[in-house]
Amino acid sequence: MQISNNNKREGGQRAVNGSRVTTFLTEGGGFLLIMLLPALLVLGFVIGLPMLKALILSFDTINFRRPAAAGTFGLHNYEKLIFDAQVWHAVWRSALYMAGTVAGSIVLALSAALLTRRIVHFRALARLAFLIPWTVPAVVTALVWGVMYEGNFGVINRLLDPLPFFDRTDWLIDRDTALPALILAQVWNEFPVAYIFFLAGLHSIPEELYEAARIDRASAFNQFRYITLPQLSSITAVIVILLMIMGFKSFPIIFILTGGGPAGATETMTVLTYNTAFRKLDFSYAATLGILAVFISLAMVLVYLRVMKRAERGVDGAV
Amino acid sequence: MARPVGNSTGTEILRVCALVLLGMIVLFPVYWMAMIALTPTGFSRSLSGIVPEQITFENFIILFTERPMLRWMGNSIFVAAASSFLSLAFGASCGYALSRIKFRGSGLVLILVLATQMMPATSIVVPLYILFRDFGLLDTMQGMVLGHISLVAPLAIWMSKGFFDSIPADLEGAARIDGCSRLSAYWHVTLPLALPGLAAIFIYGFVTSWHDFLFAKTLINSQSLWTAATGISSFRGEYFTLHELQMAAALVFALPVIIVFLIMQRRIVSGALAGSVR
Repeated sequence: MQISNNNKREGGQRAVNGSRVTTFLTEGGGFLLIMLLPALLVLGFVIGLPMLKALILSFDTINFRRPAAAGTFGLHNYEKLIFDAQVWHAVWRSALYMAGTVAGSIVLALSAALLTRRIVHFRALARLAFLIPWTVPAVVTALVWGVMYEGNFGVINRLLDPLPFFDRTDWLIDRDTALPALILAQVWNEFPVAYIFFLAGLHSIPEELYEAARIDRASAFNQFRYITLPQLSSITAVIVILLMIMGFKSFPIIFILTGGGPAGATETMTVLTYNTAFRKLDFSYAATLGILAVFISLAMVLVYLRVMKRAERGVDGAV
Repeated sequence: MARPVGNSTGTEILRVCALVLLGMIVLFPVYWMAMIALTPTGFSRSLSGIVPEQITFENFIILFTERPMLRWMGNSIFVAAASSFLSLAFGASCGYALSRIKFRGSGLVLILVLATQMMPATSIVVPLYILFRDFGLLDTMQGMVLGHISLVAPLAIWMSKGFFDSIPADLEGAARIDGCSRLSAYWHVTLPLALPGLAAIFIYGFVTSWHDFLFAKTLINSQSLWTAATGISSFRGEYFTLHELQMAAALVFALPVIIVFLIMQRRIVSGALAGSVR
């Protein structure tokens, strides 16, 4: 600090006025400003401004089908939202979708992680194999599963055909199977995230716990029940909330495979927002739906932050 | 690590078998995509087994000669490179400030950045569409890049903050004692050190933009400006869907990312663990 003060003084002798500005810019609050401002301006333009516009839109009546109504300001979109059964069905479907993807991903990821941990050979290869679906873009996931689910020639129907009591189904067109079919595609695409976390979590469990259990002749199941599961609890909480957020955001898989159909059976919040804006051209109502979605995801982010903090305290070094 | 529980070779074999089975099920969709892509056009319908009867590359040739796949991929590369570079150019210094300087509101900035990364993109895209319509940015590459910055910039800030956290501040301290200003310590000392990490963040941002479907679908109309994601998804909507062509396009689109991932596996995985969501 002493030396830097000397420097400042030397600089001051050279150019009295210029140096104070320069010092402010390179050392003090000005430095913070230089570092933060560009990014904050950019974020303000690409995220802040749209959010503000969404708020304005939600009070306006911008519907390209009824251009004359533009400029009618009021709370009508929010009033409509509260009593709109379609919206609350979409929220419910998003919840189902999230629950399905969380449950499916956790079962798949945990079994894969437990198996990967206990083998000695090919561990790196196994890890790589289970991570590959994660690198597949959601658009491609949708296309591939779309081809596999196809009713007449799809490979899933062909593989399941020999099973007794199985009738060929058009998975994405049948009302009862469409949502589970989408969930399966999403699970396939996102379970590797849970897998990575579970591997890290398993890695951080002290081996002494298992050694002690073996001395006490605890069965493999009891070791899992009383050591592995409790030790994984905080990381599981992180995984659950992370997968919930990812499931809530999910758009390409649902949109490309069903577009919300058949007859709205797979219309989640994101797809409903998109359809309201770009199919019904009711941008004001879509913006209102978008704001509802932001509040739902904000709630999840707050839970995520809390859970993350606990996990960092608990499993030190795992995440 | 020593063998933990099952010390016998028997359990090891059993576990490897279970793992191979699970791995085969998990990788089946990727295998199937490649398989159909290599089947002659129209023949995937008559496949009886799950192994190819005849291998051909004609689907890829059709894709690049009769469809504007090359153009779409060029657009994707341009948008991804530009948005990722700009996000990093602005985001890295912000991440550095968040990592090194304790100031009032830094926690709030971090939470806001995280929240924007975690909310559904549909919430942004609806007002963005109206804004871009007013600014004349719809159906332009500039608009597309701006849209993707809203996806990539929060990620760049959050990840570079995590990365700067892992670089010890001692070196900067030494540079400061030698008379460096904070700005030049950042520019000449920390930034060069951080370059490998920033490169990884660049790739992560590139892939995020490459994968995007929603922005490309809504902000761009003309077919010549489509990105690869919108281009390949359009094959599904065609009246007579050609599975072989569709899978060839999907493979061409997915393969670069898979290869990059295989090369950079460790770094990307640790980056993902640092708290980022796609």
